[in-house]
Amino acid sequence: MKTVIALITLFLFASIPTGLFAQTVEERLNALEKVLKEQEKTIKEQQKVIEDLLAEVKELQPPVQGAAAAKEPAVTQQVQEQVQELKEKVDQVAEAQTRTVPSVFNPAVGLVGETVFSYRSKGSDETGSDRPGGFDAFQRSVELNLSASVDPFAKGYAVINASADPKTGEANATVEEAAIQTTSLPWNLEVKAGRFFGEFGRLSYIHDHELPFVNRPLALEEYVGGESRTDGVQVNYLVPIPHYVSLTVGAGNQFGGDVPPNDVGTFRQGSNVNYWGRLSSFFDITPDISFEPGISGLWNPATTDLGGGLPQPDGSTFFERERRLAGADFMLSYKPLRNNQFQTVTWGTEVLYSDNRYNVDEPAGAILNRAVGSTGLYSYLAYKFDRQWTVGFLYDFVESPENNRAKTSAYSPYITWALSHWDQLRLQYTYTNPNVATGFKPDNAVYLQWAWIIGAHSHGWQER
Amino acid sequence: MKRKLPYILSIIALIALSGASPVHAAKISVVTTLTDLADFTRAVGGDLVEVHSLATGVEDTHGVPMKPSFVPIMNKADLLVLVGLDCEHAFLPALMEACKNPRIQKGTPGYVDCSKGIVPLDVPKSTEHSEGDVHPYGNPHYMLDPVLAKTAIGNIYNALVAFAPQHQGEFARNRDAYVAELDAKIVEWEKEMKPLKGVKFVSYHEHWPYFAARFGMDYFGTIELKPGIDPTARHIEELIASMKAEHVPLVVREPQFPEKVPRRIAEATGAVLVTLPIMPGGVPHTETYIKMMDYIVHTMVSALQGRK
Repeated sequence: MKTVIALITLFLFASIPTGLFAQTVEERLNALEKVLKEQEKTIKEQQKVIEDLLAEVKELQPPVQGAAAAKEPAVTQQVQEQVQELKEKVDQVAEAQTRTVPSVFNPAVGLVGETVFSYRSKGSDETGSDRPGGFDAFQRSVELNLSASVDPFAKGYAVINASADPKTGEANATVEEAAIQTTSLPWNLEVKAGRFFGEFGRLSYIHDHELPFVNRPLALEEYVGGESRTDGVQVNYLVPIPHYVSLTVGAGNQFGGDVPPNDVGTFRQGSNVNYWGRLSSFFDITPDISFEPGISGLWNPATTDLGGGLPQPDGSTFFERERRLAGADFMLSYKPLRNNQFQTVTWGTEVLYSDNRYNVDEPAGAILNRAVGSTGLYSYLAYKFDRQWTVGFLYDFVESPENNRAKTSAYSPYITWALSHWDQLRLQYTYTNPNVATGFKPDNAVYLQWAWIIGAHSHGWQER
Repeated sequence: MKRKLPYILSIIALIALSGASPVHAAKISVVTTLTDLADFTRAVGGDLVEVHSLATGVEDTHGVPMKPSFVPIMNKADLLVLVGLDCEHAFLPALMEACKNPRIQKGTPGYVDCSKGIVPLDVPKSTEHSEGDVHPYGNPHYMLDPVLAKTAIGNIYNALVAFAPQHQGEFARNRDAYVAELDAKIVEWEKEMKPLKGVKFVSYHEHWPYFAARFGMDYFGTIELKPGIDPTARHIEELIASMKAEHVPLVVREPQFPEKVPRRIAEATGAVLVTLPIMPGGVPHTETYIKMMDYIVHTMVSALQGRK
């Protein structure tokens, strides 16, 4: 401790200027007066230099005569004021550019509304529809679309749908899609993860309002379960050859209409997950005619009990054990290069084969294994004869995936009036003809669909 | 099976790697959205470039079909040359995403926006859809002004030099030769178009404000109600009435739009109907930009001379 005090004392003494002890106050004042006089002399010398320079500048300037000479200072002042004013404005703009405004980071926002007015000749008890018979107005979807770049490597998007519940009519907001998608992976790869519509077939990953007709084809409803929504991951690979070949594979918790295998407390095997894939290509037959084929597959090796029991008309109950679905599709298009906004013909077809495996509880108590192979297809022809008008015809056929003797076909002529990109009306008549094995009755229905978009709207790849 | 596994894995690796490091051909691979840009790129790049245009020339500039066959071509491109100002919004963004080519994405040197340096006309105050399919950055059809086309040529030159600086001398010689040829034609076109100064005209779509400004014509209006929106019966009636009142002598129809309504308007007003291309190849004998501008100027001048 003593050592520390000694060191501090020594430091303080060393810090005191030694001159304080050497000079008296009078001597210091004299020294300061001398410094001031030297500085005064320097300033006077500099003033003289400035005056000489100004005189030289004046001599070099051309003589200004009369009124102009009087006006010059005023004009100069005016110009200076204008320059100053301009400078202030530029500074304001520059400042505004650098200012951080929270809204500039907002994603692109769009809202889709879709209302379907309809009349059905039979009640839902006779058609199996989730909508009532007779007159019906259904706000099928109110979709909020958000999208933006996440960073230089990915984009993100979300689709939040507040569609009305078929039974209660209450709008239930659900996240239809919310996914991240890479944008700069090497090797022609793209990865998507989150909740999204998995790429299976041609129309199952398209939202309702983007379909070329009012309702999703029966085969997609029966086998995929509507839209191909999944929680999972999907990888797309553009095969690096001069011809377009796209390969997609994915794995997800659920796919379409099935129930996700997430029973609390159970240990999930990889076999409980859905796996799907799609291979598609494109051929220019002529500059105006193109052919786009694709094949798809969906497999869930172990779906036992996940969807619950499926009671059958014969009294037995089916429990899905394994989900197997294969599909082939094509689109043949005539799109004249010159006036493709005014005239196109499109023929699209998709054939699906379901080969599901079931455990069957017989009424007698026996449990059997059964494989049910069933087929479904839809085919449509659409003719756009004007920028605003398209007519089309859709044919539907499907066998029940649990009972391939239960067959339903449907015929739907329709006409679409697109007032603009963002406002579209569609009138459709559908005759649905189920056979006796389905337990349902033939039905006539008329639909009027009105779909609209506000805000951001991008022309997506799937809309080509 | 175990013996075959290394071979199978090797094949998979080869396929993957062939996509990982694309082998650049000796020529610079350039994809352009429209044919005028392809013409300029060929003129500046000469034998050093291989150019592929997504449009053939007959399409609408906003309506080039989104063909998957474009994807492999864009996947291998070194440069993507576009008009910009949102001209290609209906087809290019989705194609760029599908092509998986990071070298030509926005913000990279391979993304060549030819509108750089263009002061756009008709910048909308609002992008409300009540105004139709408006372009938020202004009218993108500046290529129909041959003086502004030189800005696009300059941008293409800069991009080629940045990509292959060792060929700067050749690119500069090619550019200078082409611009000199274009300058001589501009003088010629301005002389030919002199009698049309102040002449009013209408067109189907808003393609012509830059052309009208260059040659001193009066762009009276469009047959479309709003950009991208077909005319209503009332709009056609009002257009006919105002054209009659203002003695508008010329109706321009771009070839990708139907002839019926422009013909009806021309007949009702006594105006001359002409069909004019909006990019090279739009009508026969317009394979290059200079030939197209020749065609536009000659057709307009002779149509109005014939009327007199």
